[in-house]
Amino acid sequence: MLLTPDIVSAVASTGASARVAEHVAPRFRVGDRILVRNYNPATHTRLPGYLRGKRGIVEADYGVFAFPDTHAHSLGEKPQHCYSVRFTARELWGETASDRDTLRVDVFDDYMDLV
Amino acid sequence: MSKPVSKPESDPAVRTRALESILVEKGLLDPKALDALVDIYEHKVGPRNGAKVVARAWVDPEYKKRLLSDATTAIKELGFSGLQGEDMVVVENTPEVHNLVVCTLCSCYPWPTLGLPPVWYKSAPYRARAVSDPRGVLKEFGTTLSENVEVRVWDTTAELRYLVLPERPADTENLTEQQLADLVTRDSMIGVTTLGSSAPTSASKH
Repeated sequence: MLLTPDIVSAVASTGASARVAEHVAPRFRVGDRILVRNYNPATHTRLPGYLRGKRGIVEADYGVFAFPDTHAHSLGEKPQHCYSVRFTARELWGETASDRDTLRVDVFDDYMDLV
Repeated sequence: MSKPVSKPESDPAVRTRALESILVEKGLLDPKALDALVDIYEHKVGPRNGAKVVARAWVDPEYKKRLLSDATTAIKELGFSGLQGEDMVVVENTPEVHNLVVCTLCSCYPWPTLGLPPVWYKSAPYRARAVSDPRGVLKEFGTTLSENVEVRVWDTTAELRYLVLPERPADTENLTEQQLADLVTRDSMIGVTTLGSSAPTSASKH
């Protein structure tokens, strides 16, 4: 859909959520220990490279969203859960990182496996 | 006597202009619609919206509870919603935890509460270093935190948009909600600064 000046104001105030109102079973539960897949697509992805092969813990389940890796290429919504996953700074950056600091990253079902 | 090297790749403005002209040429973008959109986020929507949300949370504990459990709905109560704010999460700074928001993959940012992101937020160095060296980045913004404080970085990689609820500065008990909102800065809601950050946060009252 082409954005035209007459609909800009309405589009801006309502937005367009990528949530999908479909029941999809989550692959993970809060508290699960996960390993991020070593996944390197040449096409669109929302998995940051620095997470590949890293371990984290699922902190929250945000619900069901369209999967960007397929949706961006008109290959379907492939609806799935997106989670807040906690990683320690040490897991990502090694021993010189603070042992107190952490990161929270939004990770889709298809990017990870249970440890 | 080295000559300055041209670095078009590092200039987001050049890249944006190039993308815009291609999209217009292909008939995928109406430049007038783009101007109208930019006008809304430059002149009508901005960080004063987020400041109102923060001040309300400081004065109204019930509102704060709603804000932390369902941010999208609580923010909409104050009239702020729409593009890039469809699915909001508010994270609270405390004496133990300092939150910092980044989008390492692009420049995701909560438009209805903060407007358009500042240039540094979109820059490659901020995006790379906010995750790998958050304390170094914070220091460059004049924010030094005690080693006892956990720095918690939120990388906005998916559809959620994050707003930091900064700690209320000390000695502000007598201020009105509007006066409190006036104290809240954009940078404090991204998490690169604290409010009243001349004093380290570890010294704040528990």
